[in-house]
Amino acid sequence: MSAEPERRQRLLQLAAGAAFLVLAVVLVLIVVNSGGSGGDASNIGGKAEVDRLLSGIPQQGMVLGDPEAPVELIEFGDLQCPVCAGYAKEILPPIIENQVKNGEAKIDFRNLVIIGEESIPAGAAALAAGEQKRGWNYLELFYRNQGAERSGYVTDEFMEAVAKAAGVKNLAKWNQERKQLTGAVEETTADAGKLGFGATPSFAVKGPGSKGLELLGTPESTGSLEEALAAGA
Amino acid sequence: MKTTSFPSEWTLQRAIAFLAALGIGVATYIAIADSGGGSPVCIAGGHGCATVAKSSYSHVAGVNIAIFGIVGYVLLLVSAFFANDVARLGGFAVALGGFGYSVFLTYLEIFKIEAICQWCVASAVLMTILLLLNATRLIGYAGTEEGLHARERRA
Repeated sequence: MSAEPERRQRLLQLAAGAAFLVLAVVLVLIVVNSGGSGGDASNIGGKAEVDRLLSGIPQQGMVLGDPEAPVELIEFGDLQCPVCAGYAKEILPPIIENQVKNGEAKIDFRNLVIIGEESIPAGAAALAAGEQKRGWNYLELFYRNQGAERSGYVTDEFMEAVAKAAGVKNLAKWNQERKQLTGAVEETTADAGKLGFGATPSFAVKGPGSKGLELLGTPESTGSLEEALAAGA
Repeated sequence: MKTTSFPSEWTLQRAIAFLAALGIGVATYIAIADSGGGSPVCIAGGHGCATVAKSSYSHVAGVNIAIFGIVGYVLLLVSAFFANDVARLGGFAVALGGFGYSVFLTYLEIFKIEAICQWCVASAVLMTILLLLNATRLIGYAGTEEGLHARERRA
């Protein structure tokens, strides 16, 4: 084989240099993206993802979807609850993309305070965002930027950063209303207790095919929720 | 130079072409699913693919990253048809870049998006094997004359 040692050496040096460069770039990208493990007011992420998920879907208070949709899925959740965040990221998006976007169902979020006292102002802040038709944006963004349970991350600064990212336009009004809506959070928590719900998230469905309000508990998959919605239609 | 311990360049080229064609298929499926407003379906079930596809990391400057994947795999396929140093180094560089980006995406899936997309894993595995094949090709045959192996093959 007629090799050219110098050319070969130069090529291999170039390749080795490229390998080091790629390694360095990947490390830098990982370090840059590793910041903000949640609960960080200066680093609210997931806005594009949430905007895309909720794009074109009407919101009224904490109800997501066409108000005339025949089936209503009621979710009782706690904004500090990591399982609720998991549902928001994994279980509910296909339902939002399909049944809710198609006008077949709507989802009504109601607060059920489980984790701790900080969940009350967090929930009230979501309700206040709902008054400006940004309640679900607030909810989804809060979940995506959730800090560790009861770690004290639910500060005024954090909630305002989430509200801004959620697109709440009148922050002064939001700030005033969120303080007045803590009672509403406690009311829905009491309602959930009366229904026998003691864990989050808990779901119930109501529609022409259901016998009043049917309690679902905490279905483990999107498929289970879809079946319940189909039965309620 | 002794290169008898390496597979023949022709064998490496065929393997690279085959895997690059598979990669084009995977990336094209992801891109088509996204362009239709949906998301890729995880064959083994679950919603990891939808979660990853809808995450803010799935697009760079408004372009689905699967499009970059298609471009990368096409370049790798083209590089497999030539037996010269430009193709060897170019193929290695593209596979290296693709591998690096796959590592970053896998990190994002595990630690940021907290969901795994089987199609992304498939692409990452393909890119890893392609990097190994292209590195073997470069180390084994860099600096050799164009067409030598084609002649050896015919002999």
